[in-house]
Amino acid sequence: MADVDHDEEPHLLEEDQFLQEVHSFSFWFEAIEGYLEDRPRGYVETLGEPTDSKTMSDADRDQLITTLCNYCVGESTALEASSGLVRMAPNNHSRIFLATQVADEARHLEVFLRRLEMLGVTNPEAEVEARAASGLVEFRKRLLDLVDQGDWEAAVFAQNVLLESMEDTVFKFHESVADTITQQMLEGVVADERRHLGFGENDLGRRLAHDPDGRSRLAAIRADLDPLVLASFDSVYRELGLSREDQPQLGKEYLATVERLGLTT
Amino acid sequence: MADFLSQYSIQRWLEMCPQGYLEDTVNGHDPGLSEPEEILGNEEIREASIALTVQLIAGERAALAASSGLVNAAPDYASKTFLATQTLDEARHVEIFTQRLMDLGVKKEDVNSTVADYTNPNLVKFAEVLLEKVSNGDFIAGVVGQNIVLEGMAFTVFELLQTTSKELNPKFAQTLAGTIADERRHVGFGENRIGSLIAQHPERKAEIERMQGEMAYHMLATFSDIFTGGASTMTRERDRLAAQGQSIGDAGWHGTDLSTATPADMEAVLADTVLSEFKTRLGRIGLEYQTPKVPA
Amino acid sequence: MNGPVDAAIDEVPPSSFQPESADGDEPPRQRFELEDTGFKEVPKRWRKFYRIWQGEGDSLGPNEVICPVCKVVIRSHREFRPGDRVYCMPCMSRMVVVRRPDGSLEAEVTY
Repeated sequence: MADVDHDEEPHLLEEDQFLQEVHSFSFWFEAIEGYLEDRPRGYVETLGEPTDSKTMSDADRDQLITTLCNYCVGESTALEASSGLVRMAPNNHSRIFLATQVADEARHLEVFLRRLEMLGVTNPEAEVEARAASGLVEFRKRLLDLVDQGDWEAAVFAQNVLLESMEDTVFKFHESVADTITQQMLEGVVADERRHLGFGENDLGRRLAHDPDGRSRLAAIRADLDPLVLASFDSVYRELGLSREDQPQLGKEYLATVERLGLTT
Repeated sequence: MADFLSQYSIQRWLEMCPQGYLEDTVNGHDPGLSEPEEILGNEEIREASIALTVQLIAGERAALAASSGLVNAAPDYASKTFLATQTLDEARHVEIFTQRLMDLGVKKEDVNSTVADYTNPNLVKFAEVLLEKVSNGDFIAGVVGQNIVLEGMAFTVFELLQTTSKELNPKFAQTLAGTIADERRHVGFGENRIGSLIAQHPERKAEIERMQGEMAYHMLATFSDIFTGGASTMTRERDRLAAQGQSIGDAGWHGTDLSTATPADMEAVLADTVLSEFKTRLGRIGLEYQTPKVPA
Repeated sequence: MNGPVDAAIDEVPPSSFQPESADGDEPPRQRFELEDTGFKEVPKRWRKFYRIWQGEGDSLGPNEVICPVCKVVIRSHREFRPGDRVYCMPCMSRMVVVRRPDGSLEAEVTY
């Protein structure tokens, strides 16, 4: 944690002090403590089983299981990719930040698996495998290949920009229509995604500012991966029972990020 | 296995660490504590403390790389989850020991060069043996190397350092206490998870035992370099404390009084303790301990 | 949204808020007392500097801008002016305040 005068406002920190502060373990755990303290396992357990969970129809329950199974695919992909990125990180700040992301992704996976159990799924791991969208499975393979190849920029883009943007948009929307327990779990997950998205965009932004040629390479990777993720999350919306015209503009935030990074084709 | 692994969940980790023994600490110690003047004002002792802290950073960096690398290789979600918490623990250790380096007067911009200059080459070899297994996606060998050999060594080294620091350097002793609490989980996971996998894959035993022997050899060589190289400083510091009527306090550790032990005695008790722990732990998971060659 | 939680408390000349030259002959900046609005995604000491954008019906005070990366409202004790550096701790972005053609202020990410 940066040695700073805490009476001052954050905007007065020097840039390296700011990065040291926000990438530190202490920052991470004080931040998550704020929004997870009263929510062991991602939701307020003392509420008991809310009515909307008790009265969920079988069809709605089944749809929710499919949706959560695909969230698990996304989260386990992010867990494996972010852990692989730790070793590649260019400095200690990034390494420590990625370690916090690894724990975040593992927590997300854990709460979604737990939700599946609460919904009556006896073997969540098998269920996830059975219900995984093929596009997302293919994306997972491509992302882990990028990690295995040691391609930091492409992997950070695919994970912290592309996958996290899509998850952020879908989770926020799902939060607004979900049952109470799922809604609370998603709320905590979205709060984590902010850090991950910000790290990805800022890291790539700094790099691309010094390496404009890298843009065309990343734009090509983006064009290759976009359809896989977009189609997968589009199908999640359908599972949530929305007609196409009612769906929020899925890629809006993501496209804004891509534009800021200069990765439009 | 599912029940055992449920003890290693993120939820449990949150309750034990941020909301447990790390609550209200800053960089692993009570706010307001600092490195003692006896270290900061004595160039020889300060440099020795820097050299020691660098070995801790190097070890923790290897542990961070290994635990994060093993997430991918883990065969089930529960193991991935535990390794995710371990990754974060190791990152915290890197952070707090790096902070100690700066507390000892190393400028932020000089941290990496200081780590590069002072890291013992035998410790680098120790880490390379482990990281090769991790790079190959070898989960069983990786967890034995990381959670039993590396963590077993760290656990014992931290205990020794904590014993010698609690009287004269409470800040460092507190920092170590938190890392020891973390290591307890790591070695526990190593033993509990790998035992069943070794039973399922007896054909892997010989290769993993070879790895343990190799890592233990580099570990002993590291201990030898550190205790031999630092012997005169350790002796002078103990004499200085004695002349001032001070000592490191009640420092009995595995039958040795560390307040009067020579550096050679300390090295011997440390090596014996670590190796004996290896032997016990490996025996419990069905591996035969390999006595390492004694470094020249 | 800014009104209920913040109050302009005094008028002070620009100090170390960067860049100094940006203020020129402009009137002194307003200062604001900030209160914690319940934003919990950063450590306690930083929480009052951020709040959740409430959507329709919400408005930004002169000491607030929206982070274009994560959409959180970034706040300051002082009125923002073009050229000011701001940090979004929830998403770790660094920005500079710029004036849009319509006269409003927004934050632009600097990498």
